Amino acid sequence: RAMCSGRLQTALLVAGYFVYLLVGAAVFQALERTAEKQEKMAAAQMKEAFLQNFTQLTVAEMEQFMKNLIEAIQNGVYPVGNESQFEESNWDFSNSFFFAGTVVSTIGYGTLHPKTAGGQIFCVFFALFGIPLNIVFLHRVGKMLSLLCKKLGKFLYEKGMRKKKIKFLTLLFFLTTGILVFLCLPSVFFQITEGWSYSEGIYFAFITLSTIGFGDYVVGKQSDRKYFSYYRVLVAIWITFGLAWIALLFNL
Amino acid sequence: MLLAAYVGYLGLGAAVLQALERPAEVQTAQHLLREHWELLANHTCLQGPALQRLIEGIIQAYKSGITLQGNTTSLGRWDYSGSFFFSISAITTIGYGNLSPSTAVGRIFCIVFALFGIPLNLVLLNEIGQLMLLGVQHCARRLEDVFHWQNKASFLMKTSALVIGLLLFLLLPPLLFSDKEGWSYEEGFYYSFITLSTIGFGDYVIGMNPDRTYPSWYKNVISLWILFGMAWLALVIKFCINILE
Repeated sequence: RAMCSGRLQTALLVAGYFVYLLVGAAVFQALERTAEKQEKMAAAQMKEAFLQNFTQLTVAEMEQFMKNLIEAIQNGVYPVGNESQFEESNWDFSNSFFFAGTVVSTIGYGTLHPKTAGGQIFCVFFALFGIPLNIVFLHRVGKMLSLLCKKLGKFLYEKGMRKKKIKFLTLLFFLTTGILVFLCLPSVFFQITEGWSYSEGIYFAFITLSTIGFGDYVVGKQSDRKYFSYYRVLVAIWITFGLAWIALLFNL
Repeated sequence: MLLAAYVGYLGLGAAVLQALERPAEVQTAQHLLREHWELLANHTCLQGPALQRLIEGIIQAYKSGITLQGNTTSLGRWDYSGSFFFSISAITTIGYGNLSPSTAVGRIFCIVFALFGIPLNLVLLNEIGQLMLLGVQHCARRLEDVFHWQNKASFLMKTSALVIGLLLFLLLPPLLFSDKEGWSYEEGFYYSFITLSTIGFGDYVIGMNPDRTYPSWYKNVISLWILFGMAWLALVIKFCINILE
């Protein structure tokens, strides 16, 4: 009888999972479809306008140029600005280090990704050993964080509070300070450094710390902004502690 | 000590990737530089700033997932199939990013959707993983009964489960991808691993090539493959963690 209920539970779980996906898909479609249409029209108009202004360019040449341009963009080369900006590489050490971090944390923004076959294969094996290493590392960091909570618990216990209440309070404390420190405060910080709106900052923080990592928002990638030198180090530290906090949350 | 190893590992990876990728990048940049200036040179009435603005506009459109080639009557990408695949990429935390919400409401919904979807996904993956383990243990016990092998049976089953999983989830799918997507085997393997590990760069995504036709079962089979493959890879990684700790 127990096995029957177990099987039923699994079946319900699978069904619930797919229903969840289907509902989500419908909502996303409803929300995004019209905006996409508008952008397409704007892009087509821009193209038309440009062609009209410069009639020496044939449509075929234009298409070829855009094809080359898009290929360059896909390879991470953004040809805006003058020639000197070509000297800055996407694969300098600082960028490569940040990239390595996004691989082992499985965030995987994708704004930078290996193009050579050698780089891709290396990336696979690098991740194969790096992901377990990262998880073990996060466990350790998480233990440090939980020590803080235990200290708070001990303090409250000595004040004579009941154990159940302590558990509840420490959990609440852990949750709220975490949300403040890892989601709300960084979003304010990003408002200043990246010029994003507060909701965009929250979106970025959530997408990063959940390791989804779409890559539509990435720190330090806007060419027209000046970032102070240890900006990305700070962001990396935030990501590390934030991920450890989320890992702890799941274990609780 | 662990921190040192972690940072060292990242640094090593960074150095290797830099060495591998830099030359190719320089080549692409040079090629584009020639294109850029060639175009300006051939049509000297093209002013620099106007061209700049056009390029920026194209980049902007590309980032929103719109390519400007051909006519613009092609299907949008937020059709139901695309949205479904997006939902999967969100709650599995793969997060390709080739499609991402551009409206503020869409983004807020995405956060809420993932907030509940990710734990749901983890629970499901755990279930699938447990079922796989149970299946392996069941087979091991059967072997023990039939051949009286004791400990060897368990080890044999675990290794063969690993090999079967490797074949099924990492080594055979690239063949399917090279047929349906036109990728090389190495690219297919790279895509498979990046997807199943939930890294999900989004440089390779299935079913996104407008010049190709895909059979109707394609995306559904891939979704199943992602689910089971992720569960299998999670088991493998858990095993690696147990070794490390």
